[in-house]
Amino acid sequence: MLMNIILIGINHRTAPVEIREKLSINCEDNDRPLVEIMSVPQIRESLFLSTCNRVEVLAGVSDIHSAVENLKSVIFSLGNLSSKELEKCLYIYHSDDAVRHLFRVASSIDSMVMGEPQILGQVKDAYRRCVEHNSSGVILNKLLHHAFRVAKRVRTETGISSNAVSVSFTAVKLAKKILGDLRGKTILLVGAGEMSELAAKHLMSSGVSKIIVANRTYGQAVKLADDFHGTPINFDLLEEKLKEVDIVISSTGAPGYIIGKEIIASALRRRNNRLMFLIDIAVPRDIDPEVNTIDNVYLYNIDNLQEIVDENISIRMREAEKAETIIDEEVLKFSGWFKTLEAVPTIVSLREKVDEITESELQKSASWMRNLGEEEKENIKILISSVTNKMLHDPITGLKEESQNDGAAPYIAAIRRLFRLDDD
Amino acid sequence: MDVLLFKIALCAYFVSTLGYITSLLFKRVFVARVSTWILVLAFIIHGFSFLFRCMETGHSPFINLYDSLSFFAWTITGTYLAFQVKTKTRVLGAFVSPLAFLLMVVASVQLGGEVSISSILQGRLVIVHVILSVSGEALFTLACCASVMYLIQENFIKNKKGGGYSRLLPSLRDLDRINHICLLWGFPMLTMGIIAGSIWARTAWGSHWQWDPKQIWTMFAWIFYALLLHQRLAIGWKGKKVALFSIVAFLILLFSFVGANTFFITSHRFM
Repeated sequence: MLMNIILIGINHRTAPVEIREKLSINCEDNDRPLVEIMSVPQIRESLFLSTCNRVEVLAGVSDIHSAVENLKSVIFSLGNLSSKELEKCLYIYHSDDAVRHLFRVASSIDSMVMGEPQILGQVKDAYRRCVEHNSSGVILNKLLHHAFRVAKRVRTETGISSNAVSVSFTAVKLAKKILGDLRGKTILLVGAGEMSELAAKHLMSSGVSKIIVANRTYGQAVKLADDFHGTPINFDLLEEKLKEVDIVISSTGAPGYIIGKEIIASALRRRNNRLMFLIDIAVPRDIDPEVNTIDNVYLYNIDNLQEIVDENISIRMREAEKAETIIDEEVLKFSGWFKTLEAVPTIVSLREKVDEITESELQKSASWMRNLGEEEKENIKILISSVTNKMLHDPITGLKEESQNDGAAPYIAAIRRLFRLDDD
Repeated sequence: MDVLLFKIALCAYFVSTLGYITSLLFKRVFVARVSTWILVLAFIIHGFSFLFRCMETGHSPFINLYDSLSFFAWTITGTYLAFQVKTKTRVLGAFVSPLAFLLMVVASVQLGGEVSISSILQGRLVIVHVILSVSGEALFTLACCASVMYLIQENFIKNKKGGGYSRLLPSLRDLDRINHICLLWGFPMLTMGIIAGSIWARTAWGSHWQWDPKQIWTMFAWIFYALLLHQRLAIGWKGKKVALFSIVAFLILLFSFVGANTFFITSHRFM
């Protein structure tokens, strides 16, 4: 009669990418899985979530055991996987644990990079699809909205998403701390490489407008500059161009320093001492560390950036503990609400029965009531409903309280039996 | 009435100060936002208190020492709030607010007492001199606050220290710009204030210059600021050097304002 909440799925921790990708490819058309899941008879409400790092099904079911078995076969068939392969990776949660897992996922605690912002949007999309297909009901609606609130709480009350945890993001944050608004600034990209290009990309999306690319091979410079809509320059023009540049990102394979103290000092003079930020990603280093001693110049090498990242990651870990506490509180709150549901049908039936009795008795008295005035008839009706409400008030409140304490079952059974609520 | 408004403004400055300190300690931006609004309230009420004072006493409200301190507090608050609108450097408020509060506390010493203005202080020129000089000094105070913050932030970034406070401080470039704007506007104001003062001095004491300690020290500070501004504009000084210089120049100015009166005998004393 009463629903149970279950959550089954796989994520980046339990399943290797080969298995995850099989499942997510077939789930590209995100409608089909939901339809298949809803066809399982024990499932009353369901939500299907599929991202590159997880595939999960959240459902309100009438019978946990059969529902789980059926769901498993749906998933196996969706992913074209053998049950043996998938069994190893599947996790199954129910009741409070399912709720807790959902809250953790929505708050990005379960993500590969804790604090990442995309997952909440992905969960919201999954919920929207679920609403479109009418696969959610009272319980999932309440649960999902609660999950969004929890995600918001975690985001605002803890610091899990406030610091950069990648080298390129750290570089961008530093640039902003030094140069302020990045719009209108110029970057010089020396050499090439994944990290430096990523940093350049992030800087561009923060408003940097001009990018100059230098490379020992002019052809390479042209290719890279093309990607960024920038200007390629010949390597020997580097010194000359430095005066126009606010941020330098260097990652060449050169064995020694290619940018020395004198070059920077002279560039600084020629640009009227405007601040400069240099990022040296190369190993061995491209930029002479002495450059950092120049006033108004700030040099960070790959180790410096990584230290900041490491520090931020450990901050996130500490903040994650706060987040878990918040999540525990919220699981308790949801659980409290969920338990009162147990009593709701009985309370409704009780009220309905009392209303029926009231109606039928009023009808029986219709004849002698005809002689009364409108006002008196009204007063009688009010009197009756007042009496019945007061009489029902204590048992109904008591039922709700017992639900909160997990002790409602015997009382529900007793009331149903004594009031003969199941006799129709 | 003006005394009442003054006291309310004083309380508002105090609450605002507490708010800023709390927001720094607990890293909650919301508290800082509330504090800024309270500061706006303080500014408005304080402004009205000047109006009422002027109306009730019949003469301009910033002539004697305490009044001018009160006016000083009002000016730096106003200047900071103007900056806040443009550049959102809320952290500056954490420096300005306690400063304004302290100035008000000192200024409150004279509350309720009889206001005596030296008979010498007549004429509009005095008012012009005070307003311009105090405004100029207020801007330099702000420049000094920004410079202190610059040095703190610069230290974090140069020496690669993390620090949660680094996140709260504005960017180096923004702080440098505040310093620049304050110097650019403060210098002409102070200059004109000194000129107005010396013109008036002629009418009061017969000569433009009295070799008064306060005047001398103010001149020192003025020379420093002139040098600083020149280096900024002509040679393109920026950043750390400017910040250090601004602080030194301000300390000289501070001495001329506070110390000169205390340590030397000066005819520029109007209590």
